[in-house]
Amino acid sequence: MSCCCALSPQEKILQDKAAGKDNPNRSKHERLFDILETFDGMAPIIDADRALLFTQSMKETEGQPLELRWAKALMNIARHIPVHIDYRQLLAGRCGTTGRYGILYPELDGDFMADALDALAEAKTAAPISVSPDVAAKVRHEITPYWKGKTFHEDLNRSLPPEVHRLAYNDELGIKTRFVVSENASYRSSQQWVLDYAKVIDRGFAGIKADAQARLDALDPLSPMDTLKKRPFLEAVIITCDAIVVWAHRHAELARSMASEEKDPVRREELLQIAERCERVPEFPARNFREAVQAQWFAQMFSRLEQRTGTIISNGRMDQYFYRLYKQDIESGAITDDEVLEMLDCMWVGMAQFTDISLSPGGLATQEGYAHWEAVTIGGQTRDGKDATNELSYLILKSRQASPMPYPDLATRIHSRSPQRFLWEIAETIKVGQGYPKLFNDEEIIPLHLAKGAPLGDIFDYTASGCAEIRMPNRDTMTSSCGQVNLGAALEMVLRNGRMKKYGEELIGLETGDPRTFTCWEDFWQAYLRQLDHLLAASYVEQCVIHHTRARHFAGPLASCLHDLCMASCMDLHTDEKIPGGIDLGFVDIIGFATLVDSLSAVKKCVYEEHSVGMDELLRALDDDFEGHEALRLRLTRAPKFGNNDMYADSIGLAVDRAAQEYCHKYAPETGLHIDIRTVSVTANVPHGKEVGALPCGRKAWMPFSDGSSPAQGADLKGPTQSIISNYNTKNWDYNERAARLLNIKFSPKCLEGDAGTEKLVSFIRVFCDLKLWHLQFNVINRDTLLAAQADPKRYRNLIIRIAGYSAYFTELSRDLQNDLISRTEQTSI
Amino acid sequence: MSANALEKGVVFNIQKYSVHDGPGIRTIVFLKGCPLRCRWCSNPESQRAAPDIAWNHTLCIGCQSCVQVCPQHALSLDSQGLHKDHAHCIGCAACVHICPAAAMFRYGGESCVGDILDDVEKDSLFYARSGGGLTLSGGEPLFQPQFALALLREAQERHIHRAMESCACCPEETFLAAAELLNYLLVDVKSLNAEKHQAFTGQSNERILSNIQKVRQAFPDLKLHLRTPVIPGFNDTEKEIAAIAGFARDVGAHVYELLPYHKMGESKYRFLGKDYPMGDAALDETSFSSLQALAGRILPSSLERRE
Repeated sequence: MSCCCALSPQEKILQDKAAGKDNPNRSKHERLFDILETFDGMAPIIDADRALLFTQSMKETEGQPLELRWAKALMNIARHIPVHIDYRQLLAGRCGTTGRYGILYPELDGDFMADALDALAEAKTAAPISVSPDVAAKVRHEITPYWKGKTFHEDLNRSLPPEVHRLAYNDELGIKTRFVVSENASYRSSQQWVLDYAKVIDRGFAGIKADAQARLDALDPLSPMDTLKKRPFLEAVIITCDAIVVWAHRHAELARSMASEEKDPVRREELLQIAERCERVPEFPARNFREAVQAQWFAQMFSRLEQRTGTIISNGRMDQYFYRLYKQDIESGAITDDEVLEMLDCMWVGMAQFTDISLSPGGLATQEGYAHWEAVTIGGQTRDGKDATNELSYLILKSRQASPMPYPDLATRIHSRSPQRFLWEIAETIKVGQGYPKLFNDEEIIPLHLAKGAPLGDIFDYTASGCAEIRMPNRDTMTSSCGQVNLGAALEMVLRNGRMKKYGEELIGLETGDPRTFTCWEDFWQAYLRQLDHLLAASYVEQCVIHHTRARHFAGPLASCLHDLCMASCMDLHTDEKIPGGIDLGFVDIIGFATLVDSLSAVKKCVYEEHSVGMDELLRALDDDFEGHEALRLRLTRAPKFGNNDMYADSIGLAVDRAAQEYCHKYAPETGLHIDIRTVSVTANVPHGKEVGALPCGRKAWMPFSDGSSPAQGADLKGPTQSIISNYNTKNWDYNERAARLLNIKFSPKCLEGDAGTEKLVSFIRVFCDLKLWHLQFNVINRDTLLAAQADPKRYRNLIIRIAGYSAYFTELSRDLQNDLISRTEQTSI
Repeated sequence: MSANALEKGVVFNIQKYSVHDGPGIRTIVFLKGCPLRCRWCSNPESQRAAPDIAWNHTLCIGCQSCVQVCPQHALSLDSQGLHKDHAHCIGCAACVHICPAAAMFRYGGESCVGDILDDVEKDSLFYARSGGGLTLSGGEPLFQPQFALALLREAQERHIHRAMESCACCPEETFLAAAELLNYLLVDVKSLNAEKHQAFTGQSNERILSNIQKVRQAFPDLKLHLRTPVIPGFNDTEKEIAAIAGFARDVGAHVYELLPYHKMGESKYRFLGKDYPMGDAALDETSFSSLQALAGRILPSSLERRE
């Protein structure tokens, strides 16, 4: 009988594919599938053109103001980078060579780029990267020599106080991450970011340039600050506006010349239309839906040429900024819904080809599987607080249901008045089993940000940006990326008096005393709080140094000219000065939340309450990684665990969260930044776990921690309802120092079957909204499918799975992460 | 606390996020004890009214703690597995408490209505959003009549939607008293053949069928959901199913559903030290589909089988 193993649509399609059947979505999405086939399964190619042109210009402009240098470099790239129009594509614009590709950012890691590329070319990883000898040689001879001594990471490495440096790195050069208080600023010039695409579509860069010119003309020639600061900023904006137009026009020329040689009349006409669009946008306002998509795409791609936003240039609220022209064209008959879907498909398949490649070991470990998050946001509320769902929201959901790719990630904003139809379509998309959409909850995010100081209209208009974070496009002003604190390490240092199993006698944390001398739970808890504060303090120091160092290395004239506040103040977005009117929202990630809570629960219960385990016995068992102590390990695992709506464990979780927020509440104000507590691990739960020996929850040494704010692997035994209530139980509602919290839930396809299953999933989502949790995402997959994919990766090459705020191909993940995903509980019902 | 809330009984499982037994997202409370002994029973741990001590060989780490702690010296553990001298076991559960691996465990424990409803109520948001609530199941919930009625009354006090899965093999007054407290009733009709029913379940079907008819007459608005587990070698014939579906139609069931036989309870027999009575019997998928089609012809409101 097959009664206990229903398949998700994704699993069904993979099974059919193996049996030689075509994807049923193909007929409606011919163009998407045709383009996808040109790069499906291909290892990304490293393209060095952006890096070479950037370096060439930076060499010539030394000594000039940084924003001006950046703009000139962008102009150099715009003029000289090879342009392409892909087979069957309707959109023009890519940042590098055809196929699946990645580009380089020597301002971040130019000093060790040559060695890193050699290592990448040889590395045998699940996600290989292709580096040609020619590219490697160019990097070694033309890029690395210039950047040595000039990169951001080298400056950061020199600027960090030694006591913080040794928590962040394992080497003097600051390349090998120590995942105790790790940073990720050195492999991205900005935290995730989103552009104000509405401005690109509705005003065009000619309009933005005119605005800059007017401001330039109005400067006071006698004011030294106007001359020193505002003038270079505005000149940089003007050059950048010209640069993107130059780049677009080169695509127009290419399209025309391709059309002149094209034999197929249909394709010739398509090429001529592409040419016409590229002549019009992004210079001038878009006049129709197709132009709007092309304008958005140019802006998005050009921002990738500008800077590495940590894998993420978000797509913002696509169903809002495209809606006016969509509606206009549908009403006039200029476009059909199928043609709209085709334009969107062209954009999705373009995104799928760009892979953000990190050269640093830290970046590789924390964002596995060529992670990139171009989150498209739909739904939510309008600036005046009305439901924002429209026909385009549904079309975008439809197009993502049919797509066999993990990109782009789709974010849906839910609120208490979200229409039932919207939730139904969301549930149907979740059931496809590709891990999206993720859900963002307006009922948590809006009031919380009001408390953080956001104006109502701006927060009503927030967009997802990154894996679980949000942005207010014209209000957010902090781009520094943020640190991660290893909660498991904090606990291990309580157990080992400031030391860690992995690092032997090296004193890493505080000497909080031999735990065998603690007389009660309170002693143990106080020792934990001291270790935690020590790590948080180091993370804050790290954050402040990063924030001030970045301003000396990065400028973003494109991102800045699309930001109202930057234009008003004539300040670059990457400044470390306060941009008037801006809100600086940042965070520290706490990694291993549930692993820590379960461990504390086990210590409290077994050592201090039931006295069933002695501290000395516990320490020996942990030191032996439980070898020969299996009975003890099992006894520890029976203590109450987070994720089961059990207040014993959940009240510990609440205290853990509160302690972290209290630190921020006390010390954030003196930094001038909101550095809040985020509980989102992305894939950092794997490398952070690799730093830490066995823990009292029964987790063996070096194994992954729990992810985000999800229950530990296999610990949530009471079903998904109790799991999300536990998440609610552990939030400190009276503190606004909380930031994103990521929650993963895995369902077996069986319990979401049919309309009845969809209906129950919709109810589940409503309760998520009622509980005011920040974020929720689902994997709908059978455990057996994952095991089969491990055994036969070729056959399951296209299997998409949810990781943490993004989806990726399962077979392109490391074995460690694959196993972690398998061990997260699959929620079924009986 | 009300008298209902203090009532005690034996429960062997509380299952959250149940989505297949009654409307919406539900919590099932499984009561121990059953008057039937169906050969295909997938919950053998539900049959006896008293708690059962069981042993899961896959979890056992062989530490011998249970053997050493047993005050009756009723246990021994060797390479063949755990041996229990049932005559000497007094059910004290010392072995369960000592076992570090949870390989020795107990099916069922006594709890009071108030505590159970507190647990059920933890999901009240989910019930409110989905139209779900409490489902009593078993065993046969009405095998502990006082307790089951107290659970339903307390749930009613707390405005929780109430469903019950029953075999209807109980005194008529009990069945009607429960029905009065219910919003949704699920009953299994296994066979219309009284002798066969007796042979395969240990009880005749007369009282069952009459209880269903009585409930329908007394509570015409109560949602009645009849189900038939399709068991190979017992009722997997057109004749049997046609007769039961005809009964369901005539009695005015709102929903009728065929459930395919499955072997998911097999490991629990092993945990209890019992043999699995059905052996390798298997249900033919095609014939199940045709039986389902047959039921659909007789009763258009029949549910499609869930894959």
